[in-house]
Amino acid sequence: MDIVVCLKQVVDPELPARDFAIDPATQRQVREGRPLVISTYDENALEVALQLKDRIGGKVTVLTLGPAAASGDAIRLALAMGADEAVVVDDSEAPQRLGAAKARLLAAALRRLGRFDLVLCGCESADWVERVVGPLLAEALQAACVTFVSRIEQVDGTLLVRRLADEGFHLVEVRPPAVLAVTSDESNRPRLPKVKDIMTARRKPVHTWPVAEVAGQAGEEGPLEVEVRQVTLPERTARCEFLSGDPGEQAAALVQRLRELKLL
Amino acid sequence: MGGVCVIATALEGTLSRSSLELVGSARALQPLGLETAAALLGHGPGLAGAAAELHRHGVGVVYRCDHPLLTAGQSDAVLAALQPVLARAQPQVLLVAADTVGREVAPRLAARLRASLATECVQVEAAQDAIVARRQVYGGRALATLVLRARPAVLSVKPRALDVPDPAPVDGRVEDVEVSIDSEALPARVRQVLREQAEFGLEEAQVVIGGGRGLGGPEGFALLRELAHLMGGAVGASRPPTDAGWVPVSWQIGQTGKTIRPALYIAVGISGATQHIAGVSGSRTIVAINRDPEAPIFSVAHLGIVGDYREVVPALIARVKELRGT
Amino acid sequence: MDFALSEEHRLIQAAVREFAAKEILPVAADLDHHPRFPAEIIARAASLGLLGLNVPQEYGGAGLDGLANVIVQEELARASAGVQTIITVQNSLVCDPILRFGTPEQKSRYLPRLATGEWLGCYCLTEPEAGSDAMAVRTRAEQRDGQWVLNGRKLFVTNGLEAQLAIVYARSEPAPGARGISAFLVEKSFPGISVGRVEQKLGIKCSSTVEILLEDCRVPAENLLGERGEGARVALSTLDGGRIGIAAQAVGIARACLEDCVAHAQARQQFGRPLKAFQAVQWALADMATRIDAARLLTYRAAWLRDRGDRCTAEAAMAKLVASETAMWAAHRAVQLFGGYGYIQDYPVERYFRDAKITEIYEGTSEIQRLIISRQVLDGR
Repeated sequence: MDIVVCLKQVVDPELPARDFAIDPATQRQVREGRPLVISTYDENALEVALQLKDRIGGKVTVLTLGPAAASGDAIRLALAMGADEAVVVDDSEAPQRLGAAKARLLAAALRRLGRFDLVLCGCESADWVERVVGPLLAEALQAACVTFVSRIEQVDGTLLVRRLADEGFHLVEVRPPAVLAVTSDESNRPRLPKVKDIMTARRKPVHTWPVAEVAGQAGEEGPLEVEVRQVTLPERTARCEFLSGDPGEQAAALVQRLRELKLL
Repeated sequence: MGGVCVIATALEGTLSRSSLELVGSARALQPLGLETAAALLGHGPGLAGAAAELHRHGVGVVYRCDHPLLTAGQSDAVLAALQPVLARAQPQVLLVAADTVGREVAPRLAARLRASLATECVQVEAAQDAIVARRQVYGGRALATLVLRARPAVLSVKPRALDVPDPAPVDGRVEDVEVSIDSEALPARVRQVLREQAEFGLEEAQVVIGGGRGLGGPEGFALLRELAHLMGGAVGASRPPTDAGWVPVSWQIGQTGKTIRPALYIAVGISGATQHIAGVSGSRTIVAINRDPEAPIFSVAHLGIVGDYREVVPALIARVKELRGT
Repeated sequence: MDFALSEEHRLIQAAVREFAAKEILPVAADLDHHPRFPAEIIARAASLGLLGLNVPQEYGGAGLDGLANVIVQEELARASAGVQTIITVQNSLVCDPILRFGTPEQKSRYLPRLATGEWLGCYCLTEPEAGSDAMAVRTRAEQRDGQWVLNGRKLFVTNGLEAQLAIVYARSEPAPGARGISAFLVEKSFPGISVGRVEQKLGIKCSSTVEILLEDCRVPAENLLGERGEGARVALSTLDGGRIGIAAQAVGIARACLEDCVAHAQARQQFGRPLKAFQAVQWALADMATRIDAARLLTYRAAWLRDRGDRCTAEAAMAKLVASETAMWAAHRAVQLFGGYGYIQDYPVERYFRDAKITEIYEGTSEIQRLIISRQVLDGR
């Protein structure tokens, strides 16, 4: 099976609060000097793709849209984990683009890549969390779409996937070509690369395409642009009241406060 | 030319709660001077009551679509059914709940309609001729304000971000819309719906106790359940315990999991570093118990205990039992 | 001179750091309080390729250089010095001599098993009368019926309990001192080799330290490692690499001290301020960071020399000397900074203190390292 996994590099979401800042000029998070990682659920998507390849064979290509200079580590890690090939659409504007614009460029890149049975991506990006890229890719590529997929249960002509739902989960039958937006699950915890695979990864092909080329082939389809007026940090007016003492005293103090607040 | 259209669903037989929350968003858009209608999609005898609920909350026209394929999780069927409905309603603004189906439907609808799109909104309002939507970004650390000027506009609203509005009954009418959907032609089809064990509706509970990575394993949750039981609450978890398989995924609270707004939320062994805070920040009172005084959860907690939950929670249980005289 | 790590080295560092943080750190304290061989962790480390880092890929290893080994060892030791001891012995004291001195048959027979973790290895040099005076080995190796027969007692053998393979140094030639020693590859399944005392230690508790007994232990002739009488050369070459690995271990332990002290200085408040506001604390942390960085750079330099095939005995000794003394000093400082909490087993610093001490002793005491360095300084050799 031919699988393409879309990866996005984001500033580490586990960044300590003191290192988090919004750049007023771009209305986006300051990336300069901050550690970059593969967006959380994109790693799960990659793991699902690799597990599928382990099971039934095929090829896993990773596709990323972003500044090529910063993408190296993410691509190398994905290849070390087991992806076969990588495509980087070199786009220095990517951190500013919203999901709709990204989906348009990714769709053009996917068309250029040629045939694929499955496109996997994270159900949401760890930074902007719009949850749109998966469904928009499906529309642009005229493919089936399922989001919040936690695992692929079965493959035999059609796919049976498990989708996380509000009340539990659904088993959904999907006909390829399909776009699956993946969420985390105990079955898809991303594998750690073997150290020797980190070395051999450098022999795997990495293609870099300038965004202008890809944009030239992009369609006009998809939602319209919206304006991001501002991104603000909410005022944290609540100051935490710490209860001190040994555990017994802390517990007593908490019960007291909760009673005062009429919560107990 | 239409107005605001609420995409209301009754895919499990009765009107979903988030459909009514959307009516609240529609009210917030009143300054745009548009009529509010609803597209009601579902199947079964409950649809009549669902339409009545919408009328009771001020929606005048309900375009009702009843089809046996409009059931839980059937996004492709919903999209297919919306085609004739929207052709009839011709809305300028579409409001969709960002639930299991809405998350898939809203962006795809926006693509098909060439509409402007804002997803996962926690607030929607009108500003002159434009729609202003707010959404959480960066794991809940910041709030983005988006302005949508072009029409049509599609907005998906986070369930439970807003309250169900007060009733405002109107004399409404129902227009039934016929739709034929070829089940074989649906690219994705739900084969089975599996519900997970939940002792207590996590989203309805007034007291919720959440466990995180700091619990160290599934055993820790037994203590939390005991405390929750005493306090009449529910137990949830942040992402790491569900990823590790310590507890079912349906227990997860956070941006990917459920958003909750209980009166009291107690976070145990949860660092609060990622999206978990976004899922609980609406709670009225947040208590955090954690060994690390630098844990980000303390920046949103009202009451904090720095300590080992293995000592603190049993002490709490003892105190509450004492209080209850048990 | 490029002080930056290559992309590969950075990725390896990140991958092992994540492995250590997610899978070793959570159980490190428990492995020390209830000592036991960490079988699952070692198996996981093996699956990631950490047990045969420098073994060529054709033998199932990762085919990495000495610098990669040093990076990996530091990351592992930061989480648990005990776990890392098991792994560094495998790499530096067992795989390395087989790589450098083994015949093609010996390499094919043993390296794949060691690299995949199927077999664990141990290194038997020290004896009751041969500690710092390592060349005073008394274990005898005699030829009998086309085989070698070994008799003697080896002490303080790391991994000795779990290992399937032992590299044993024994006196095979009439020549006294270093020239009479040969190295042998002894499988635990050979008749006459057994585990004697199992030692209880101050630190690195999850790694076993045992006595190995050789009583008419029969070893096939083809299991001689290197030439007859070449044993000292094997041992000393191995120790160069071993010392670099221990230097990395010490850097890892010291870094654990620094990171925990920094977190503590930020969280702990006394006299109305966090500890980090006090100049004495600031200076202690500055000294710690500086000395750790210096130790790390010495370690990297020694690894770099060895990778080039250059002589590195004195530089390896410098790295091990400085790193081990830094680790001990940092751990001492850390316990003090934590105050009462530094003395309590709920907090990790007392474990760092106990773990750090061994780095000043094994694979050549600090006194021996000074001897080696002074020879270089005074005699140019």
